[in-house]
Amino acid sequence: MNDSHSSNNHSQRPSHEDSSDSRLVEAHSQLAKNKEEPSEGFSSLPIVIVFLFCGFGFWAGVYLTRNAGGFSANTFDLDAPRLVADSGPKVFEADLAKGEKLFIQQCAACHQANGLGVPGAFPPLAGSPWPLGNDERIIKIVLAGLAGEIEVKGAKYVGNMPNIGAGLNDAQVANIVSYVRSAWGNNAEAVTDVKVKDIRKAIGGRGQYSPKEILDAHPLETK
Amino acid sequence: MSQDYSSRGSVSRIDASISVPVRTFIFSSLLWLLVASVLSLIVALKLQVPSFLGECPWFTYGRIETLQRNAFIYGWASNALFALNLWIMSSLARFELKSSWLPVLGGIVWNLTLTYGLIQVLLGQLNGFALLEMPKEVAPAMVVAFLFAALWPAVAFARRPTGNVFVSQWYIIGATFVFPVITVVAQLMLLWCPTLGVMQALVHSWFYQNLILLWLGGSALSAVYYFVAKESGRTISAYYLATVGFWTLFLFASWTGPATLLGGPIPVWLQSVGVVAALLMLVPTVITAVNIFGTLAPRNGIAQAWNNTTLRFVLVGAISFTLSALLNIVFSTRSLNALVRFTPFGQAQEHLAIYSFVSMVIFGAAYYILPRLTGSFWPSAKLVHLHFWSCAAGSLLFVVAGLTQGWAAHGRTDFAVSALPGLLAASLLLVGHFAFALNALGMLAADKAPSNRRSY
Ligand code: HEC
Repeated sequence: MNDSHSSNNHSQRPSHEDSSDSRLVEAHSQLAKNKEEPSEGFSSLPIVIVFLFCGFGFWAGVYLTRNAGGFSANTFDLDAPRLVADSGPKVFEADLAKGEKLFIQQCAACHQANGLGVPGAFPPLAGSPWPLGNDERIIKIVLAGLAGEIEVKGAKYVGNMPNIGAGLNDAQVANIVSYVRSAWGNNAEAVTDVKVKDIRKAIGGRGQYSPKEILDAHPLETK
Repeated sequence: MSQDYSSRGSVSRIDASISVPVRTFIFSSLLWLLVASVLSLIVALKLQVPSFLGECPWFTYGRIETLQRNAFIYGWASNALFALNLWIMSSLARFELKSSWLPVLGGIVWNLTLTYGLIQVLLGQLNGFALLEMPKEVAPAMVVAFLFAALWPAVAFARRPTGNVFVSQWYIIGATFVFPVITVVAQLMLLWCPTLGVMQALVHSWFYQNLILLWLGGSALSAVYYFVAKESGRTISAYYLATVGFWTLFLFASWTGPATLLGGPIPVWLQSVGVVAALLMLVPTVITAVNIFGTLAPRNGIAQAWNNTTLRFVLVGAISFTLSALLNIVFSTRSLNALVRFTPFGQAQEHLAIYSFVSMVIFGAAYYILPRLTGSFWPSAKLVHLHFWSCAAGSLLFVVAGLTQGWAAHGRTDFAVSALPGLLAASLLLVGHFAFALNALGMLAADKAPSNRRSY
């Protein structure tokens, strides 16, 4: 730009040549029609670009499915679903009616609907110290089962309880256990599905507990 | 610089037919440019010395800054783009404007309405939406004025003699249709019958992105394509991609709005769509870069462009476009966006788009168009140099200023010190703009009766 007047090709005669614009349009229309530009070294460009664009389209689809919050008009924060799950303990309310129904289906065959068990065969749950106090004990028994000699309300039992809870989900186990802990005059706090979930994860796929093992971990609070 | 005015060239028929409206637009844009530059110096001073002009409510930061932005975009850039679009389209479509008083009327109404609106802003009648701050009765008048002033390129396009089309023409048509649509919709949904809550933010971000990327950006890109092809005398490299570039730009740009609202209270899927659209802007960005730099790069073309006044400005503009688009893409990703959100970095980025890109391209185009329109030369080459260097340095500094202020906003450095580059930048731009205006006004004044000197 040492001389802004004459460096410009056209500035010797700064008029606007009409024909050059026509040529410009003409030449480019030809280019657009032929879609080939032999003189330039960009022959591999179209393929690269097509692949690039396909990659982009794919990425966009994946990104949207992962980050669209289910396309819900009420999701305002990507972290929202996780936050709701984390705040589970506050949200989960043990449903004692469901708990009772499940107890009848899953446990009553042995422990009886009134929770008194069958003397000499199945220990009672009503008035037993086992379901009360620390809730981990009963949750573990329901999840993994119990086999060996135990003493409940002064009577000895040598029985074998299968791992009933393995076939139930966390909320179902929580509902049954909460029911057992509050029925027939039992009086202990309800448990949550998160607690069940954590314990299930902690004990893994194990066999039945022996009475010693479970009592060492969670001694009975009352006799 | 002694100039032999006897060698003054003749003005073509087409140029003569659009001479009066183009001059009107350029003249108004020059005045607004000076107003906006002075205002931006005041804004920069206020960041430095907050008490400066602090007594008078008229000169509070909020009003002055609003005034500056509106004067710059609606006064300077839009007027200048009316001129550019009309001139480029008429040249390409071989169009002779019969009733040139219509666009002139449109231009006058546009500028009067804008003046009225800005005075209202000065008096404190502001809306809370950026670039829609002027009172709501201004909008309908501006849309009507726009149709009168800016619709002629579409007429020219419709009447083109052959079916052949150059990419610049698409960009002009696209930009011309975007402006009235977004303005009408945004005005209706934000000012006349306001939608509720979150919708407002969405509509506004949509309006804003369209205005900057498509009306300003699209128009300026048309000039970039035109002058690169015209002044280098080369055909656009990989030209078949230009169509894809055009369509993808217009498709994705309108969707990038929600990406500017990341983390805001809008449904998360819309934010993600915005992010995707912002990242897909890579497609038109890469294509324009391949088109423009691919054309100029071979056979020493960059050096030639550098020695050509018009192309030098256009080249800086094209580089800034690519840069600002890339920054926009990178900082639309969620994690990086969280770093720069609400900081002056955004201003730096926007400055790169509307100043270093759009305005530099307009300058370059003006250096080409005005001599052909008036049949005379630029009065002073020194002023052209001064213009280029102070504007180039000023806009670089402005970007630096955004970065230093962003850094200061993180509490790293003293804010007043960090605003210093901004002050320097505003002063440099003011000097550059005066140099440009002096030259251009001298040219417009030297040639008073254009239409008498037609050459056939
Ligand atoms: C197949 C029969 C059977 C079923 C079904 C059964 N249990 Fe048991 N349960 C037993 C036997 C037998 C014992 C004693 C185990 C031992 O002697 O080691 C026992 C022991 C227990 C104990 C500890 C001792 C006590 O009485 O407090 C609890 C608590 C208990 N079961 C809860 C449950 C719950 C809750 C369910 C339902 C999810 C259930 N059981 C289902 C057979 C059963």
